[in-house]
Amino acid sequence: MHFPYFQFPWLGDPLIIAIDAVLHVYISHGVAIGVLSLIVLAEWLGTRGGGEHWERLARSAIKPAVIVITGVGAVTGVGIWFITSALVPVGIGSMLRVFFWPWFIEWVVFFAEVAVILIYYFTWDSWTGAAKKWHVRLGVLYIFLAFASAFLITGILGFMLTSDGWPRDRGFWGAFFNPTFLPQLFWRLAIGLVMGCLFLMAYVLFARWPAPDFRRRATRLLGKALALPLIAMPVFGLWWIEMVPMGFRTHARPALLIWTFSYSTPWFYIVHALCGLLVLAVLVAAVRGSIVGSRIVVVPAILMVLFFVAEYERVREFIRGPYLMPGYMYANTLLLAEHDLYSRQGLAARSWWYARQAAQPTEEQEGQFLFAANCGTCHTIGGKNDIRDRLRGRTERGVYVLIGRTEQMIPWMPPFTGSERERASLARFIHRLTADRYRLSGEYRYPASGKEGVP
Amino acid sequence: MNALTDLTLAPPIGERVIHGLLFGTFTLHLLFVLMMLGTAILGMWFFLHAWWGRRLGELRFDKQVLRMFLVTKSLAVVLGVGPLLLIQVGFTVPFFTAVTFFAPLWMLIIALLIASFLSFDSLAHRVETHPYVHLAVGTFALGTLLIVPGFFVAVLVTAENSDKWLDMLHLGFNFDWRLSVHWLLRYLHVLGAAVVFGAAFHYFFIADARDRKSSLMKWILGGLLFQVLVGFALYFSLLIPMTLTIYLYLIAGVALALAAIVWVAVRLRSAAMSFYGVLPLGVALLTAMLLTRQALQDRAFYSLRARTQPNTDRYRAELAGYRGDSLRRYERHTAITYDNGPTIYRYSCSFCHGADGKGDGPDAAQLHVPPERVSAVRTTPAYLRHILMNGVDGSAMPRFGYYDPAQRERIAAYLDDRWSVLASPGGPPVILPESAVRQAETIWGGTCAQCHGADGRGGPAASRLMPPPPDLTRYSLTPDRTLEVVTHGYPATAMPAFGSFSLAVRWGLVQVVLGKRIPAGK
Repeated sequence: MHFPYFQFPWLGDPLIIAIDAVLHVYISHGVAIGVLSLIVLAEWLGTRGGGEHWERLARSAIKPAVIVITGVGAVTGVGIWFITSALVPVGIGSMLRVFFWPWFIEWVVFFAEVAVILIYYFTWDSWTGAAKKWHVRLGVLYIFLAFASAFLITGILGFMLTSDGWPRDRGFWGAFFNPTFLPQLFWRLAIGLVMGCLFLMAYVLFARWPAPDFRRRATRLLGKALALPLIAMPVFGLWWIEMVPMGFRTHARPALLIWTFSYSTPWFYIVHALCGLLVLAVLVAAVRGSIVGSRIVVVPAILMVLFFVAEYERVREFIRGPYLMPGYMYANTLLLAEHDLYSRQGLAARSWWYARQAAQPTEEQEGQFLFAANCGTCHTIGGKNDIRDRLRGRTERGVYVLIGRTEQMIPWMPPFTGSERERASLARFIHRLTADRYRLSGEYRYPASGKEGVP
Repeated sequence: MNALTDLTLAPPIGERVIHGLLFGTFTLHLLFVLMMLGTAILGMWFFLHAWWGRRLGELRFDKQVLRMFLVTKSLAVVLGVGPLLLIQVGFTVPFFTAVTFFAPLWMLIIALLIASFLSFDSLAHRVETHPYVHLAVGTFALGTLLIVPGFFVAVLVTAENSDKWLDMLHLGFNFDWRLSVHWLLRYLHVLGAAVVFGAAFHYFFIADARDRKSSLMKWILGGLLFQVLVGFALYFSLLIPMTLTIYLYLIAGVALALAAIVWVAVRLRSAAMSFYGVLPLGVALLTAMLLTRQALQDRAFYSLRARTQPNTDRYRAELAGYRGDSLRRYERHTAITYDNGPTIYRYSCSFCHGADGKGDGPDAAQLHVPPERVSAVRTTPAYLRHILMNGVDGSAMPRFGYYDPAQRERIAAYLDDRWSVLASPGGPPVILPESAVRQAETIWGGTCAQCHGADGRGGPAASRLMPPPPDLTRYSLTPDRTLEVVTHGYPATAMPAFGSFSLAVRWGLVQVVLGKRIPAGK
């Protein structure tokens, strides 16, 4: 509409955003908040006469941590901007207009965060003796900045689900300090510390240098450190769920179950029970000082926790359902008001870019455009969440009826936006797609790379 | 919006603030980008130089150079977010249009940066690597890194040339030759600046030996000469008309560059430059050149803004009329909780099957294959689950697998509570003459069984039918409804009407059909 459409092939738009964003969460929560907190703790223990082993642990873990934070964590964070600006420009552009200041302040904090961690890293060997105390304090400052960063972003993330009064009054403060803000913030801190303890524990357990005695001591300490956030996690998690309106909570299970697990509920319980049991097993083995036991369970536990974090992010993004900005914009970046306008006037007739991409559009081009505008943010043709799998076997009239009822029939789907004629056209297009042998002549962008249909 | 429009939410800050902040933050970002690129190029060069001179065993200068990669790349990335936010909020139309033009390449930047950063940082932070490994990893890292500014330049060139957008569109989102030449020169101009600023950075902060310093000065000098040549060509490739102010910035920049060339050339013999002497010159040079760039960009962006602003205002006013209605729809929708049978039936089923299960929902008339009268369905729990999960091919009935198993159970329970759909169908309410039943059985065997199968599970023709005949051992309708289907057939399916048979025979057929049902528990 405002911009030409691009749909990410095969994986689909949501998954490519999710891959980048979840990788970012692993590093920003698990390493930047979790591992770094423990490194500063270890450095502090080293200064407290806890032995040079703690210092060595901190010193040797900081290098990979800094490389990963600056090389992958920061880049995937920026990557969320890049990917959303290419796939959902109207969405991210509008969000930025509401939350410009938190994001701008977050940028300043982000800069300070990276500057401080670089200083912390490069002054490790020079700020010794009396200056060591200040080096530890610098580490504490870094943790504070990482927390501030999480604080600022969580407000924006929470808004997308629980917008409070924003749809009516467009008030900034209510939107930022929204009902899920606090529980989500603390939940993220807890999960960051859990990941951090597990990451560093794996390092202590498998690195070659630690002496057996120190390895046991460090493992026990990390096991104890794991206990608190592990208890906090379900508390904040339940608090968060409690704050989510019932109208959204009902799609939490479908978000998890669709489509693979949907056929087998037992697997759903088995996987989650395994996740919990493995982390508990790490806790018990580590606190008891069992190196062999900890070695066996720590890596599977990490994998399960990573899975669990990804799943949480999926549920959070999924259950906000039909809206990208509650009460204002649907998930496909069409505005609620635009839905009403274009139902009367037609979508294609008023799209500047489409009119120029396909001057005398073929039926297929019109179908592709309507698909891109209405469905393409979530569905692909032939890839993940394939529209053909959803509607294969339905009659054309059936597809037509279902397209007109998406919003009420499927709680998290936006309604079709466009005229009656366009609804029929999209139905014809999708119905034709579901025939197995049908091949599109142009992919992703409606005229095949702009070469067809443009005089 | 039959015209180009901006987003309809108002920008959060004033134009002047955005403009000032954008220039400041972009200058900082670019400075670190140039130092990062310069560090990468020089790091590779000094490695090759040491290898060529068989001095890899010594204290490696290239490692010292590359150690700075961690710092410069981190700050370059972080400082880039500021201008990215500001250009998105301040110059939304040109920026996002350009990004969507190059969407795949734009997203690829993230993967390229991660690959390059991890490779360079691992080279810099390992004490010893085999030269061939170093060469391979370094070439990969440098190659991936040098692609990135090419993509950024492409996005900026696109954003600044909005009158070329339609030409680009018709070329399949590509540049014509004029834009290609402009893009290439601009890209080379970035690389030249990277060498100059990167070499200057390492000259002052990293190099201590005289031969290193002298070598870096040659890089600075060469870079500056390259910049003058490329800049000269770049000027002629510009498509945006110049103004007096832009000329003043440009002339100042060129004069400063020439001064810098003379300065470095004079100092080359002693290889000694004073930091505080060079600093103002460098800052002034960068500022003058970036002011030139900014002024050109402003000219392009503001003229586009002047064209789109009236469209945006008109569009915003048009949409404002719908805001009240849309808010009410939002509030209605979010008030629904899809956790119980009646609600799910009302919103997900009734528009076809009807509020009272009579198959007469508001959309029923749109369908060629009429939705079943659910109130007349008599089936088994397993078969009902199967239909909810898979829908019915060849009809509109969708797959309800998107509801979780508990929700599907609640729909099933609701249907049974309200219409006893899980009850036994019973039999015809009339007593039939023996002959009518015999005749019905003959008809079944000769005609019906073709599709339904002798046992009711589906006959030889069943697999070719859309929708397929239901499994009559597990799915039936009430006797009255069955009679109706037998008499009138099922529209838009292969089920024909048997109304020409006598009522007694038709009731006989109902008895035969319902007799196929396997009673519960068997």
